[in-house]
Amino acid sequence: MTASAAVPTYGADIYTDEAILEPYEHYRALRDLGPAVWLEQHGAYAVARYAAARAVLLDSDTFRSANGIALNEPANQVILGCTLASDGELHAHLRKVVAHRLMPRSLRPLREVVARRAEELVAELVARGSFDAVTDLAHALPMSVVPDFIGWPQEGREHLLEWASANFDSFGPMNARAERAMPKCGEMAAYGAELVRTGNVLPGSLGAGVLEARDRGDITTEQAMMLMLDYLAPSLDTTISAIGSAIWLFARYPEQWDRLRAEPSLVPNAVNEVVRYESPIRAFGRLAETDTEIGGAPIPAGSRVLVIYAAANRDERKFARPDEFDVARPDAVHQLGFGVGEHGCAGQALARMETESLLTALARTVTRFHLDGPPQRALNNLIRAFGSVPVTVETET
Amino acid sequence: MRILTSRERCEGHGLCAALAPEVFDLDDEAVVVNRFDDREVPAEHAEAARRGVQACPVAALRIAD
Repeated sequence: MTASAAVPTYGADIYTDEAILEPYEHYRALRDLGPAVWLEQHGAYAVARYAAARAVLLDSDTFRSANGIALNEPANQVILGCTLASDGELHAHLRKVVAHRLMPRSLRPLREVVARRAEELVAELVARGSFDAVTDLAHALPMSVVPDFIGWPQEGREHLLEWASANFDSFGPMNARAERAMPKCGEMAAYGAELVRTGNVLPGSLGAGVLEARDRGDITTEQAMMLMLDYLAPSLDTTISAIGSAIWLFARYPEQWDRLRAEPSLVPNAVNEVVRYESPIRAFGRLAETDTEIGGAPIPAGSRVLVIYAAANRDERKFARPDEFDVARPDAVHQLGFGVGEHGCAGQALARMETESLLTALARTVTRFHLDGPPQRALNNLIRAFGSVPVTVETET
Repeated sequence: MRILTSRERCEGHGLCAALAPEVFDLDDEAVVVNRFDDREVPAEHAEAARRGVQACPVAALRIAD
């Protein structure tokens, strides 16, 4: 497919190592070109401006998720039928089976548990003085909360992080990263299917709820296999990304850490600002169901559209001083990092809870983060994250 | 200005109530309550209401045209 006339084109591959490391100039160029820009290398229309991205996400009747999420066909086939990649009534039905357990009201009992684990973890790391903000901090809390919550048995957990990363790699264009990821995605799917066959999930968990829904006939066995992975795969790397980015940002901008410590009620806003500034998921696709338009640009039916959250969240048309990190930014809550609308992130309450708990616990004792060397980026087609951020912390005493 | 709320869509994230407590609240089930459900939002709360509507992560709120 080629671009319709009247839509600007962009020739660069935005998924090379260099572009993944330094994406923001590409995103600025895309925003400046127009509300929709044909990506020659990827066969998709980029939507990089805030208003257009929001409009596309809210119009889920025109911009469909089934066959549309990934930038390559094999990945779209693999995920077809999970909540991420389904539409309309099927999507609403599947989301209902599991999402109610992720809503803030259902998570209330978990709040204390997460806060306590965050405090214990922070106390242990602060006592050490130096630690890795990614492997010691960002991995630890989600890994101690999410697998239990989903109900994953102990055996197999050692693969979770590599499987989850592979899932996100597979959603990009079919580059070397996506090719390498495909076998691991298969392993994860096979493991999820095995859990449904054996029923080997923790009692009372989200996974147990999926099996009960299958037993009641609300969903098929195949749907249960998809749902078993639906909320596990996206709930680790994303939160880990946000926590790692947060510590890196507060090390770089110590005055923002002072601000947060002086006014701890800003913590929820600071989490929105981290997600705005370093959006964990850079982009998801959609498929145009009919001939349509985006901000006046004609989009033919069947086109793939790439909504770049990380670009929309830095749009100078929406956010003042978009490249500044400001924990008190008044409209940080408008960030699109969790998506919005029908497919808005179902796990965002849990992600917010984990990240807020860690920042709150850290703000009580840590006065400064110092980088102990250059942070290492983890290269992933979808996730903006660090693999390592070595820090030393200063405390009040 | 009137605000339309969908209790069906609301997932109880509470961002609207945090941003515009004059206009939105959550009930005991953590479902949105629009204090001006059946009438116009007073002009002095219109700006807050707009902020709350735009912050809803699942688009359960909208401004009636």
